[in-house]
Amino acid sequence: MGLVQRAVEAAGVPTVGITLNRTVTARVRPPRAVFLRYPFGHPMGEACEVAQQAAILEDLLRTLETARPGAIVEPGYRWRRHRFG
Amino acid sequence: MASLANRVAVQLFRRLPWLADLWAARRSFVEEGGLPWAPLRRPLAQCTVSLITTAGVHVTGDTPFDMRDRNGDPTFRVIPTETPASSMTITHDYYDHTAADRDINVVLPVDRLREARAAGRVGGVGPRMYSFMGHVDGPHVRTLLDVTAPRVAGQLLEDGADAVVMTPA
Repeated sequence: MGLVQRAVEAAGVPTVGITLNRTVTARVRPPRAVFLRYPFGHPMGEACEVAQQAAILEDLLRTLETARPGAIVEPGYRWRRHRFG
Repeated sequence: MASLANRVAVQLFRRLPWLADLWAARRSFVEEGGLPWAPLRRPLAQCTVSLITTAGVHVTGDTPFDMRDRNGDPTFRVIPTETPASSMTITHDYYDHTAADRDINVVLPVDRLREARAAGRVGGVGPRMYSFMGHVDGPHVRTLLDVTAPRVAGQLLEDGADAVVMTPA
């Protein structure tokens, strides 16, 4: 995914992506990333958990607004333990 | 249908996150120099935001991603943003998409983005979403880099996208 992200950014469109694997992301180096310690298949959290998904989207949008080049932002949510909204 | 080996691997990677780190440490990645950087040009409330996923989502009835090729599938599918979730399917044997099958927003947060637009947090939602299947290896990496990723970038420019949010599997 990082390769697609880099191509889009290189075309002049700012991008932010979720990563569930910090090792891969540190090597591929996308312009902006939000890292979650969530299982694969759950980049936006759990099914039908609107508050959780909205919080993660807000983290992505804020990262678009504020991140420095190469930043990997970590909100620190604990899978199924963090209480959203 | 996913092979048994695939299904076992999917569950192992899901339950043992450190396995993915081990896999990543042994694998070679395309590590190109430099960091592409495009700053946000206007406040998000005035920006059209588009979505890209690499979770293998496509419109039901559209050509599925190729799961037989061990090197994956470097092609992409276009999903009109107004497509109802009931008309989307996931073709991807390398992750457990049970949750995303129930709620597509788990891998493609289109409803959440619409809510952000309704709330005035973003200015608009791009007219099309773009979907890859994430697993791309061997010679297909070059196709992704040279052909499909630039094509998606060009279409995003046509769409008037001011920013892109990307979600993996």
